[in-house]
Amino acid sequence: MTSPTPLLVLDQVTKRFAGHTAVDALSFSVPAGAIYGLLGPNGAGKSTTIRMILDILAPDAGTVRLFGTPGGGRTHSARIGYLPEERGLYRKMRVLDVIVFLAEMKGVERRAARAKATDWLERLGLADWRLRRIDELSKGMQQKVQFIATVLHEPEFVVLDEPFAGLDPVNLQVLKDTVLALAHRGATILFSTHIMEQAEKLCDALCIIARGRKLVEGALGDIKRRRGGQHLIIGFDGSAGGAADILADRRVVATVDNYGHYAELELVPGADPQQILQRLVASGARLSRFELQAPSLNKIFIDLVGPDAARPGAGAGAEAAVGTGATAHA
Amino acid sequence: MRKIWAVVRREFVERIRSKWFWVMALLGPVFFTLLFVLPTLLAGGGGLKRIAVVDGTTTALGARIAELLDATPAFRAVRLPAGGRVIDSLTAEVTAKRLDGFLIVTDAAVDSGKAEYRGASVSDFGAKNVLEHTIGDVVNAARLERAGVDPRVVARARMAVRLETHKVGGGTTAGDTAEQSFSLAYFMGFILYTSILIYGINVMSSVLEEKTTRIVEVLVSSIRPFQLLLGKVLGVGTVSIFQFAIWGVSARLLFAQRARLFGGAGLTGAQVFQVPHVSAATALVFLAYFLGGFFLYAAMFAAVGAMSSSEQEARQAQQPVMWLLVISFVSMFAMLNDPGSRFAVTLSLIPFSAPIAMPVRWAAGSLPVSEIWLSLAILVAAIGAVTWVAGRIYRVGILMTGKRPNLRELLRWVQTA
Repeated sequence: MTSPTPLLVLDQVTKRFAGHTAVDALSFSVPAGAIYGLLGPNGAGKSTTIRMILDILAPDAGTVRLFGTPGGGRTHSARIGYLPEERGLYRKMRVLDVIVFLAEMKGVERRAARAKATDWLERLGLADWRLRRIDELSKGMQQKVQFIATVLHEPEFVVLDEPFAGLDPVNLQVLKDTVLALAHRGATILFSTHIMEQAEKLCDALCIIARGRKLVEGALGDIKRRRGGQHLIIGFDGSAGGAADILADRRVVATVDNYGHYAELELVPGADPQQILQRLVASGARLSRFELQAPSLNKIFIDLVGPDAARPGAGAGAEAAVGTGATAHA
Repeated sequence: MRKIWAVVRREFVERIRSKWFWVMALLGPVFFTLLFVLPTLLAGGGGLKRIAVVDGTTTALGARIAELLDATPAFRAVRLPAGGRVIDSLTAEVTAKRLDGFLIVTDAAVDSGKAEYRGASVSDFGAKNVLEHTIGDVVNAARLERAGVDPRVVARARMAVRLETHKVGGGTTAGDTAEQSFSLAYFMGFILYTSILIYGINVMSSVLEEKTTRIVEVLVSSIRPFQLLLGKVLGVGTVSIFQFAIWGVSARLLFAQRARLFGGAGLTGAQVFQVPHVSAATALVFLAYFLGGFFLYAAMFAAVGAMSSSEQEARQAQQPVMWLLVISFVSMFAMLNDPGSRFAVTLSLIPFSAPIAMPVRWAAGSLPVSEIWLSLAILVAAIGAVTWVAGRIYRVGILMTGKRPNLRELLRWVQTA
């Protein structure tokens, strides 16, 4: 992951639909070989952005560069795999035929596509189903068929729009393993999600957007470091004692997210965590956990996007992007 | 190019794999034959009517009419002398369906040409024709005889004329009779109408399937929307040509076996089919206009599919397109009466009706070749224009969800580059 040229660069990309701007002068770049997360609340413009990357929609302004060359996603379609947010297959077609047809759309020769499809079906336990019609398959099996269609042509760049939505745990694992295997072989992965836990586990780098605008971009570690430092996690074992008063002390605690047995605190700059520990013990609280930590991605996300993310039509919200430039990936 | 080919093959293979295709392919000729034979069968076979002739004449006129009617294949007739209650009891018989109807003849038939028929059904034109002819013949003879003409002269004078009609085309007299031309024109019009409609709607449902399942997103990230549309239309078009080939072969087989197949129904082969002569030129005109019509309507149906987001919506949105086709089909009957009328010429030049109108006119009567070229040129230009508009609607529509666009929004879709 030392490639100096980013695989994908978006520069001031804008898309307007009747009445509103879905994507507003968005710029970010995806380093080659990275697993990159495009994060944002529902309606942030993630799918629209992905569709512009893939040439399904044309931007109203700005440019998309892929593989360091001009020409959009369709030109490079043989090197790109795409799993759309809303899944679907030809219901009356046979499993093998669907996969072969979609591979042909990616420029794979017919016979090679058949062989690879058979391999993949074998690997995911669908070999016996290859001559069945799609509508005879369970939803989980259909999802597997769709993964196969996404990656059969061994793309260098895999774009997954909300890949984990609606997956059962087994398929979730299959998809994660497949994605990680692809990344291990050197493929670049771009995926969108609004579920931060998954992003935190998978991403090397990410971009958070809300209402079509970028809020933060960079390597996951850098972002955490920049926004972290004074983040404290406390677990209570039974009695919380007089902890509530201490947590409410605005001289040391800036924000608190209290779950009763568990709390996440953001300290006021300069406040001493050790002092808080002493005060908690003195107050009679029994502690199971006291941990100084980088903030979770979820916390960063909520801090950035803020409560007004849910309020349509509000101003640009939160602070301007942190670390605008394409932070090189370590 | 290879991708378009893959789309063509998918449409073709998936369609001919469906049961429906084979049902249509194998039963189509049977269905079309029935369509033509059924009226004959119903008029001829079901037409044996039991009637009574209520004879109120003072001469042998009523008896003569009853006798002649009884000799026709359409009627079994019994003469009853007129009397007080006869009409009432016959009416009761008809109501009870023991009798199909009764004819009342009096001396007024000869004097003023009046006779009356009362029956359960009075809409059977064939039967009415036979009645009128028979009564007319007998009454005419009676009138002549009353005027003192020798009955043998009357008999000779009544010898019927059989008019043979032949189509004149391209300076030569073809062997086709008027009936053959008519049935060929009607047949071609009917097949063109149903095929363009069926395969147009096939294109529409294919577009709709890809839109509703969202596969279209994956597809247009690899192939241009217009190429996808092109492949789809070509694929479905190939299926239709394949279908015609099967129909051609099976129609030939069916025709060869016609005597055996319909002999049982009491009809001879000649009665069943006025077999028209299908020349190479006619086949060519048919194919050219079928393809033209199919491309024109397929483009429109594709646009309808792209702007709808469910089967129900599509069924509504397809109405205007269907009406264009239905109007062309219905006006076929007026055109058959006078294929050279200004109405017929106009319809065969308008691109939306030309695919049905022109082949019908071609089959029904002669027409200048220059008119065909002119109408084909207009049709091709229209296909170009309609496809351009439809392609733009398609490109935007396939990615849209939510409510169907109104006309203004459609216009904007067409305008977006």
